[in-house]
Amino acid sequence: MLEIKNLHAVVEGEDIEILKGVNLKVNAGEIHAIMGPNGSGKSTLSKVVSGHPEYEVTEGEILFNGEDITELDADERAHLGLFLAFQYPVEVPGITNRTLLREAYNTIARANDREELDPLEFEDYIESKLDVIDMKDEFLNRSINTGFSGGEKKKNEIFQMAVLNPVLSFLDETDSGLDIDALKVVSDGVNKIANDENAIVMITHYQRLLNYIKPDFVHVMMDGKIIKSGDISLAEELEANGYDKMEKELALNGEAQ
Amino acid sequence: MSEVIQKDTMLSYINGEIQSNANSVAIRAINVRGKDALENTPFPTRKDEDWRFIDLNAIKKNRFTSVSYANAAEVGDISKHYLPEALNTRLVFVNGIYNEELSSISDLPNHVIVGNMSEYGDHDAVKEHLGTITNYDDDAFAPFNDAAFEDAAFIYLPEETSVEAPIHILNLFTDAEKAFYATPRLLFVGEMYSKATIIEEHIGLANNVYLNVPVTEFRLFAGAHVHHARIQRDSKQAAHVSRPIAMIDRNAEYHSYTICLGAKLFRNDPRVIQNAEEVDFTVDGLVLIDGDQIADTHSIMDHRYAHGNSHQLHKVVVNDNAHSIFNGKIFVAKDAQKIDSFQENRNLLLSDDGKVNTKPQLEIFADDVRCSHGATIGHLNDEEVFYLHSRGLTEQKSRELLVYAFALESVESMEVESVEKLLLDEVIKYTTRD
Repeated sequence: MLEIKNLHAVVEGEDIEILKGVNLKVNAGEIHAIMGPNGSGKSTLSKVVSGHPEYEVTEGEILFNGEDITELDADERAHLGLFLAFQYPVEVPGITNRTLLREAYNTIARANDREELDPLEFEDYIESKLDVIDMKDEFLNRSINTGFSGGEKKKNEIFQMAVLNPVLSFLDETDSGLDIDALKVVSDGVNKIANDENAIVMITHYQRLLNYIKPDFVHVMMDGKIIKSGDISLAEELEANGYDKMEKELALNGEAQ
Repeated sequence: MSEVIQKDTMLSYINGEIQSNANSVAIRAINVRGKDALENTPFPTRKDEDWRFIDLNAIKKNRFTSVSYANAAEVGDISKHYLPEALNTRLVFVNGIYNEELSSISDLPNHVIVGNMSEYGDHDAVKEHLGTITNYDDDAFAPFNDAAFEDAAFIYLPEETSVEAPIHILNLFTDAEKAFYATPRLLFVGEMYSKATIIEEHIGLANNVYLNVPVTEFRLFAGAHVHHARIQRDSKQAAHVSRPIAMIDRNAEYHSYTICLGAKLFRNDPRVIQNAEEVDFTVDGLVLIDGDQIADTHSIMDHRYAHGNSHQLHKVVVNDNAHSIFNGKIFVAKDAQKIDSFQENRNLLLSDDGKVNTKPQLEIFADDVRCSHGATIGHLNDEEVFYLHSRGLTEQKSRELLVYAFALESVESMEVESVEKLLLDEVIKYTTRD
């Protein structure tokens, strides 16, 4: 589904390279976790994949179902089924959740020659998604993320994911700032959305999230590269020993510079 | 050689004599007063503090003639401008002249008057209040209206009467062969505990040059509650200089909302005078301009007595080469304690060439008050744009939606559904233009 090959990226207009040759392959039905310390480039990776204009790809390619999407705009990537759950969801006063989601849903439907939903049909559809994330009706009438608590913002990202039904989702530190109850609700929602036809890539700092959403693959990212991949035991090893130890071991084995 | 020094006054930009044929003694007295003031009031220049930023060329490069000599076009079918909520509470003025045929007034509560002032020239409220609060010092425009107006909207509410339907004052401007001037006038007198909603509209039906100089006077007695929406959709070639003023008594509430969409040059000087303790008033504005439009608001919130609440939210969106100016004065007199006044001016710049000047001006002589103000000027937030963009909306659509959201807050205060709808359509038209 997704194949990232030797991806290098810089901040637009600057020389500092943040991604230094990322390779990643994600298939349908898989859940991946990318872990890494602050500044390792894991959030940047999710932004680059979703088409954030702040970054420029200088080398390598991002293939989505075989198509190179490196030059596509963010909305075109969304039309193909890409979704980014933001680490810091943006407050947009004056536009309700309902308005954004109807506009987004129908735009994506149009781009894929699917039928658009009229306001009444959309109402039924969106209501059916509310319990994925245990949301109340009135939530739809509120301005996007405006005045939301940290937990509500993260829940809203997963709710949007449920409504837009993407093929591939990047969840950028969706667990950060969540209390234990909110973490359970959010994880539960993600687990409900995950199926054999879609794929999820979680970006996280902590192993905690992985107790609730079981990944098939765990990758460790450091200094702009994925330096090690494995299964859940890799996350456990990280939790026990920390990133420093892993970095040293890899250096000894000559796997990292 | 003798040198003739020609004084630059409002009259320098007017063709011919200003003539008013008003029948009413009260109106004629104001006409005379206006003429005297006009001749002695210099036309503003950039050297005047209140006119520093504004380019008045849209007025100065023209000579405006009386509409009777302008060969103005017929008004035609204007029914699309009627408000369904105000079908029987509508006064129509075409180029400043009352049009009885298009107006429709019926079903008003007893003793309420909504009509052309020339028919009510002898009414006590006209004699007592017309022209009494419009003292704009050294102003060339209010006297111009004083001098030239013949017809005027007159609204009178006796004690403890409420007019449920909004009262629609529809000022229309037609195409014409010559640039003309018009001086719409509105006098509202609300006795104790009266209540009404006034929708004052200015619509240019063509794309011609004219000068619109309206004066509105609102006199609210104790406990009167008035909602006053002013919607300016003049021709994009027109100049519009407004003098809306309100004086309000104890426990009165006056909430005004000015929406600026049209005119090449718009200058608006709203002023609210607190004439007793315990009042509540609003002086909101929404300005959506592009092309080479200029919109200048110089407002005064004049607190003369204690215990008053006032607020002002002035929102502006500027595109292309357009230029917005805002100067918000808050006056608090020495003994006017416990005033709570709030002013906010938010500007959204959509282009690199647009221009915004903003200045709060607080003159506070009381020591126990709460007065705050804030002004922001900014472009659309890139992160907000990307957030919507990443959800599948085009970048253009994302931007449109954000501008729409910015303007929405002001539109939602309209209280009259069809007016809200009309303004939303205007906002969409503004944000989605090619």
